[in-house]
Amino acid sequence: MADEATRKAVSQIPLLKTHAGPRDRALWPQRLKEEYQALIRFVEQNKAADNDWFRLESNADGTRWTGTCWFIHELLRYEFRLEFDIPVTYPDTAPEVAVPELDGKTAKMYRGGKICLTEHFAPLWARNAPRFGLAHLMALGLGPWLAVEVPDLISKGLVVHKEQQREAAE
Amino acid sequence: MAADWEEIRRLAADFQRAQFTDTVQRLSERNCIEIIAKLVQDKKLDVVHTLDGKEYITPGQISREIRDELYVHGGRVNIVELQQIINVDWVHVENRASEIAKSDKAVQLILGQLIDDTYVNRLAEEVNDKLQEAGLISIAELCKSYDLPGDFLTEELSKRLGKIIQGEMDHYNRGIIFTPAFVARHKARIRGLFSGITRPTPVSSMIGTYGFQEHLLYSVLEEFINSGRLKGSVVGGRQDKAVYIPDIYAKTQNTWVDSFLQQNGYLEFDALVRLGIPDPSSYIKKRFKSTKLLFLRAACVGQALVDQVEASVEEAVNSATWTDIQPILPSCLSMEDIGILINQAMRNTNIQSTARVLGGTVVVSEKFISNCLSLFDEAMLQKAQKEVKNCPVFLVTEEDLKQASMLMESAAPSKKEKREAERRKKATEGSGSVKAGGGGNAREIRIRKTKKKGKKDEDSDEETGPSQQNRSKHTEAPFMAQKEIVAVLEERVSDCPEEILSELAEHLVRHLNKAYQEVLRTVFMSSTSSPSGINKKKCMKDLQEEISNLYNNIRLFDKGARFFSDETQVQIAKHVLKTVCTDISNVLVNFLAADLMMSVENPTSITSEVRVKILSKLPEETKGPLMKLHNCLNGKTIEDFLTNIETCTEMCGFMLKKGDKKKERQAMFQHRQALTEQLKETEDPALVLHLTSVLLFQASTHCMLHAPGRCVPQVIGTLTGRIPPEQQQLLSAYQSLVVKQLVSQSQGKKQEEADEQNEEARSVRTQLVALTPQVKELVLSQRKTSVNED
Repeated sequence: MADEATRKAVSQIPLLKTHAGPRDRALWPQRLKEEYQALIRFVEQNKAADNDWFRLESNADGTRWTGTCWFIHELLRYEFRLEFDIPVTYPDTAPEVAVPELDGKTAKMYRGGKICLTEHFAPLWARNAPRFGLAHLMALGLGPWLAVEVPDLISKGLVVHKEQQREAAE
Repeated sequence: MAADWEEIRRLAADFQRAQFTDTVQRLSERNCIEIIAKLVQDKKLDVVHTLDGKEYITPGQISREIRDELYVHGGRVNIVELQQIINVDWVHVENRASEIAKSDKAVQLILGQLIDDTYVNRLAEEVNDKLQEAGLISIAELCKSYDLPGDFLTEELSKRLGKIIQGEMDHYNRGIIFTPAFVARHKARIRGLFSGITRPTPVSSMIGTYGFQEHLLYSVLEEFINSGRLKGSVVGGRQDKAVYIPDIYAKTQNTWVDSFLQQNGYLEFDALVRLGIPDPSSYIKKRFKSTKLLFLRAACVGQALVDQVEASVEEAVNSATWTDIQPILPSCLSMEDIGILINQAMRNTNIQSTARVLGGTVVVSEKFISNCLSLFDEAMLQKAQKEVKNCPVFLVTEEDLKQASMLMESAAPSKKEKREAERRKKATEGSGSVKAGGGGNAREIRIRKTKKKGKKDEDSDEETGPSQQNRSKHTEAPFMAQKEIVAVLEERVSDCPEEILSELAEHLVRHLNKAYQEVLRTVFMSSTSSPSGINKKKCMKDLQEEISNLYNNIRLFDKGARFFSDETQVQIAKHVLKTVCTDISNVLVNFLAADLMMSVENPTSITSEVRVKILSKLPEETKGPLMKLHNCLNGKTIEDFLTNIETCTEMCGFMLKKGDKKKERQAMFQHRQALTEQLKETEDPALVLHLTSVLLFQASTHCMLHAPGRCVPQVIGTLTGRIPPEQQQLLSAYQSLVVKQLVSQSQGKKQEEADEQNEEARSVRTQLVALTPQVKELVLSQRKTSVNED
């Protein structure tokens, strides 16, 4: 499912305790707090390992999240926007991460740019609900997906580096 | 609630802050490796990566580390080890190491090991310690223990000799280091040991026993010998064979040899070898240059001994005797050496021609030998005469024959012949008696046979003997067997050892035989070459008479034989041929042989073999008829013989007088007389019967009969009707008794019969004894009547 480094990274992300969705007015802030703490921890970790690969921010009540993620391939940085909503049944259901830029470029994607996560991810998430949070979603969902799809897309020429695009344009 | 949200906002802000803080700038490992690889490739950086790829290291650091390791390892480190420690590629380590060795004089690269001076110094110190302890140390040993090449060690250690190492290196063998103390000790030991040696000693065995250093030993030994400290010498160089011979030993050896030679007058090589002188003869030659020594095969002999031998040899020659050299010679001399010595002595005294060596050690003067020969002269003469008389045929060779026949073409028979003739006459008279004559003949033959045997023995003796004489000549007349000669010599020459005698005899045999031949020939010549004409004539007359007599007898016998049946006639004829006819032909042959000096004293002794031999030597014209005559003797009829004898006698110049009545009667009378005489004397029943029957036959038929004993029954058969019946009965009874006795005798010989038969034989015998006088009477009485008739 994931390489050793990922597994190690994931194991260091603190697990969440509160079982609450956005609809649960009482406990959601608690859950959101835990989400933030996990994310901060994960980002710090990534930075420490020189492996920073995304930016993320949410709306005020923490139900919609937007940001960017990037992937370095052959010394070139490919950056994509990303967005997802916290589903109502969260944390029993995993949020569907979308990379709109890549919509229609790969088969492993639902309409609207939602990435099609590996078949392992859903049972893993289900098994670990509610202890898995957004940080886990990034580490185990989007990260591996990017690592697989982006080099493939680049090699197919579907994703072109922006500078090169520019150079090509010029 | 609000606080919660407040906190969430704060956390969101924290999160943003966390996201926007600088990431730590890190180069990934592979980037680093790539960067460095690039730099190294562009020669902008000179580093070496370690084998595990985790570290880079500069050559300088390698050098430093190598030096450190060298120090840590005590000045000696293996490059392989270094490579493992520094953990960079072997090539770099080696490069750096060789660079260090090149740049730094104190460090050397030996057999893949870095070694610095401190190490070598320490090593030298260690070596010194060991050296002081052991006194001696070999580089090879050090090589083994320090695992360093010998050349390096030798070089390094020799640099430090006298400084760190208190010792010195052997000049001859650079592989050994020893201390002065050790050398001194060694020298002392060697000095002591070799001073004590009194006999030749192999140096190698000394080394083995006392553990000397071989090279040191030799050099020290040489030093001592040269300086005169040791009195002796080393023979055989510096090898295993080297032997130390102390002067004292050589001196004693020499004195021994000198005194031995002086005392005994000889030196045995074996003894010298036992003394340890390897090449005795050259040693002796060197030692006694001035002395005159005679070198033999296994010894050498001094002049004194030679003189002694010469003197005794000379004495033996001068006194015409013999001398045994052995007693005056040392017993150790071999026969061969004695032979050489004696020969030398004889050569020196110039008596080679007058002396002879027998049995290896005995010198016999030729005079002595000739004296010995003369001992036999008499015996030789006697024997020769005897031999000439007996059987000249075997003595005379073809050559002699020719010689003789030329000498005396018409020689007449000798006196001896005459004598023989007389004797022959007597013999012929006796020929009537069958048994007696036959017996005599047989004996003669036997004697000759034994003689022949002796001859043959001698033949073989001669063949094995050393001389290859003309055998044909030799076989003709041997004188004496060697043993006989020995016996004679033993009698005459008393104190000689047996072997010498036998050798002398062997030597003499040849001479004697030769001399004997001479003597024989002269005797023979003298005997044959002195006939007188008168004698011969007389002799011829006698011979003619004799032949005529015999001839007539034969005719009469023939006549007598006619009375019988054919079968019996043949038997009788054969008998006559074998006896009387053989005699007459022998007389004839002997007569002819006399011309050729082959005559025999007693013609009756001539066998058919001798006859043939004589005949073969006769001239052609006489040979033919006589050969025929000779063949007739084996025939069956007397008539053939008679015709042949007639021609033969003619050839020989005899007249055969055919007998007239008177002569015939005379002959018959003589015959009967002879038979009766015999009859009177005999007691043997068979002979009595035989003679009686023959006499009766003559009386009744007036014919002479010469019949074999086998024919007696037939004779008696013919008598039937001619004599009175009672006589006839008596005769037949007697005959049957005789037959019985003969049968029983022959049976008795074959097997022991029962007593009965013995008794029977006894009775027969008594009967025979009783009858014999009666039977005799038959004839003897008749004789009177017949005489009366006459």
